[in-house]
Amino acid sequence: MNSERGNTERTGGARMNAGIAITAVAVVSLATAIIGFYGLRISRTTGDFYVASRTVRPWWNASAIGGEYLSAASFLGVAGLILLSGTDALWFPVGYTAGYLMLLLFVAAPLRRSGAYTIPDFTESRLASQTVRRVTSLVVVMVGWLYIVPQLHGAALTIHIATGLPSWVGSVAVVVVVCLTVVAGGMRSITFVQAFQYWLKLTALAVPILFIIFVLAGHGTEPQSPPAVNPTGLAPAGLYQNVSLLVALLFGTLGLPHVLVRFYTNPDGHSARRTTLIVLGLLSVFYLFPTAYGLVARMFAPDLARSGQPDAMVLRLPGQLVGGMPGDLLTALVVAGAFAAFLSTTSGLVVSLAGVISQDVLGGSVRGFRLAAVVSAVVPLGFAFMTGSLALAGSVGLVFAFTASTVCPVLLLGIWWRGLTDAGAIAGMVTGGVLCGGAMIVGALPASGPTPAWLAQPAAWSVPAAFAVMVIVSRATQHRIPGTMPRIMTRLHTPERPLATER
Amino acid sequence: MTRVRVTAPHASPRTPVRGGQRPLESREAAQDSEVGQVFVRSLIRSQLRLALVVAGGFLLILAAFPLILVMAPGLDDTRIAGIPFGWLLLGVGIYPVIGLSAWLYVRTAARNEARYRDLAGEQ
Repeated sequence: MNSERGNTERTGGARMNAGIAITAVAVVSLATAIIGFYGLRISRTTGDFYVASRTVRPWWNASAIGGEYLSAASFLGVAGLILLSGTDALWFPVGYTAGYLMLLLFVAAPLRRSGAYTIPDFTESRLASQTVRRVTSLVVVMVGWLYIVPQLHGAALTIHIATGLPSWVGSVAVVVVVCLTVVAGGMRSITFVQAFQYWLKLTALAVPILFIIFVLAGHGTEPQSPPAVNPTGLAPAGLYQNVSLLVALLFGTLGLPHVLVRFYTNPDGHSARRTTLIVLGLLSVFYLFPTAYGLVARMFAPDLARSGQPDAMVLRLPGQLVGGMPGDLLTALVVAGAFAAFLSTTSGLVVSLAGVISQDVLGGSVRGFRLAAVVSAVVPLGFAFMTGSLALAGSVGLVFAFTASTVCPVLLLGIWWRGLTDAGAIAGMVTGGVLCGGAMIVGALPASGPTPAWLAQPAAWSVPAAFAVMVIVSRATQHRIPGTMPRIMTRLHTPERPLATER
Repeated sequence: MTRVRVTAPHASPRTPVRGGQRPLESREAAQDSEVGQVFVRSLIRSQLRLALVVAGGFLLILAAFPLILVMAPGLDDTRIAGIPFGWLLLGVGIYPVIGLSAWLYVRTAARNEARYRDLAGEQ
């Protein structure tokens, strides 16, 4: 696998200045660690570790959510896919952002008001069942691990291309820095780290592309190819693929464990909504830039698509179009931003997985949390070594499909439908998990022909199936609706201070 | 004005709470009465209706964007500042729609809650 990558790299791109790139990675890692250790001094109790005592301000929190959400897929993958397939790939950034709109509409405030720390906490208290809790924990841990793997692939790719070091160095570096930060500071310091990383990622994408556009405009460079032409001659996606992708992204976001845990750091339901509103603004601004990279690369550097590593386009574009010392510096900035993306998403996932694992298996102490954090980071590292990297945005898209088929139905029905029962929730999550997971496994097997669209994008049928099974089984087991349900529904939906005056 | 809540003692001893769960508080218990539950149900219904309307409206607009490009094929080739119109529409134009939907929702949801507070407060 690694030697294969090495060959495509040598034939594909310009040589980069390894020293500057290594410095950039070291600075980002060091800054992350320093902010993390600074946070250590102000986080002391288990509550601090889990949810930053719910005292984080909306702007900090929104930046942190943005920082955590914008992963390797957003930073590298989206631009690479746009380079390959043009406007078809624009549905990725649109779906990632609109997924947050769905989260705001259906989940944000009720979930904050539920008062639970993790998704398993929520399903357990809503359905009054330990078994539901265990199934949800299992699903959440699977989602988290599936999501960390592409981050580590992204890190491996970036380190290899930017510095020429072996790929595994990148994955290991991310896991080590994340473990140190999480073990040291818990969620409070993670919040500061994530907020810092959102702004770093935005700068690291915006400055190079603006510079490139000015250079191109200044030299009056003529485009090599029109933006409508796919550089590798890829066939346009069909209607089914686009719709299925949108279903996955719209409904997958609201079940992501690392995104949900962030809402507990808001003081109340209304501020959870306000935070989400700010997040939507931050995401909208961010996604303009991968789109710009994709468009510029299609017009001025379509050969980057033919190197076999479209995910590396963002890293190579400054060197190719600007070159020289400015090109090296811009590349170093992009590498720094990419590393921030891997670190922030991975640490967010590790924090939420560690919360789940330590509460369910290790009894919820701070020591248990630290141990669980190391386990949550090291297991996907093993997966990352065993699997080859796919297109980053595509593999993250599949994780969204899996979340949309498992966690999303139980959250939506649990919040809005009084009739949900523990049996229904379990049946639905298992159905969605088996259908979507099965499609992912079959799709990953080496097949004779190309994977058919309905297998490559399972969300359009696996999500409705999970919902349907959940509703039908709940209907059949109505006697299992827990007696606590009316009070839980009241807590989820009523404002925290019943008599507070209107602002 | 002070309000005194009268609540029944819990019927059974509570099992120890795990993780971060708090015991159900007086806020929920205060709405245990039949009238209280009517208000809560009506709040949930109006919040759900609002969320569905905003989501539906947004999805309609989202579906309309590519349809516009299919209906008017010349539009895709039109360029504004060198950028094809189709790219501007899908790559830039959708985000203000998302932001506007979100802002409308947050405002109206807070208004629904204020109405509930008034009703529950008078009870």
